Amino acid sequence: MATLDGSSVKKLIVACDAGMGSSVMLASTLKKQLAKNGVTVEHSPVAHIPSDADVVVTQAGLADRARHVVPDIPVVPFQLFLGDPAVAKIVKAIQDGTTVEV
Amino acid sequence: MSDEETQKPLTDLLAPASIRLDAKAADRDDAIRQAGAALVEAGAVDPSYVDAMLERENSVSTFVGEGVAIPHGTLAGKDAVKDDAIVVLRFPDGVDWHGNPVSVAVGIAAKGNGHIALLSQLATVLLDPEKAAALRGATTPDQVYELLASDEDDE
Repeated sequence: MATLDGSSVKKLIVACDAGMGSSVMLASTLKKQLAKNGVTVEHSPVAHIPSDADVVVTQAGLADRARHVVPDIPVVPFQLFLGDPAVAKIVKAIQDGTTVEV
Repeated sequence: MSDEETQKPLTDLLAPASIRLDAKAADRDDAIRQAGAALVEAGAVDPSYVDAMLERENSVSTFVGEGVAIPHGTLAGKDAVKDDAIVVLRFPDGVDWHGNPVSVAVGIAAKGNGHIALLSQLATVLLDPEKAAALRGATTPDQVYELLASDEDDE
């Protein structure tokens, strides 16, 4: 577990295996939700997560690979593409500028 | 990212012949093979991409909710991709997608970023229960185009 300060998040990465499908869809959704908060949202293959990311969200099955690629960046696994509670918590922490355990 | 500059017109990315609204599949793998075959026919991928799609599905499901899955290949399978393309297969009888009912499979091949606006719009459709139901119930390609056309003002 790590504590993520929502107010310090400037770059959120959505990672998936190929960076071609589900991560693209989730990134576009999050981009709209976080547009007002000045957060850069990008999608990326899990093997190529940029090291300047503040937080990474990825499908649960890829979380271990993501942690291996960026051991110092909080990785938030999700199960559901639509309305996953873990993703919703991160979005809310960023919008409200609060902290959240990840 | 300069996604906007590289977007293809919707009908180039998703050709009318790549919209198959009355498909039938025995199971998930059959549905994925059909989506892969449609991408091969669209000239977007080599046949080996279909194996990458099956491999990806076995590692992480591409079921995204609302009766929709978005089968696509792995990073390793990307060499088999020649062009950005999307195919839409509707299975009126449904397909068991590893425990989830799927009635629409959106097959994806992406070499660049030409497909991002369409996927972004698909996300918008799936987050709106009425639009998602309209996609599951689409019986003409025009209905699919109407739902998936980017309309950034309509938010």
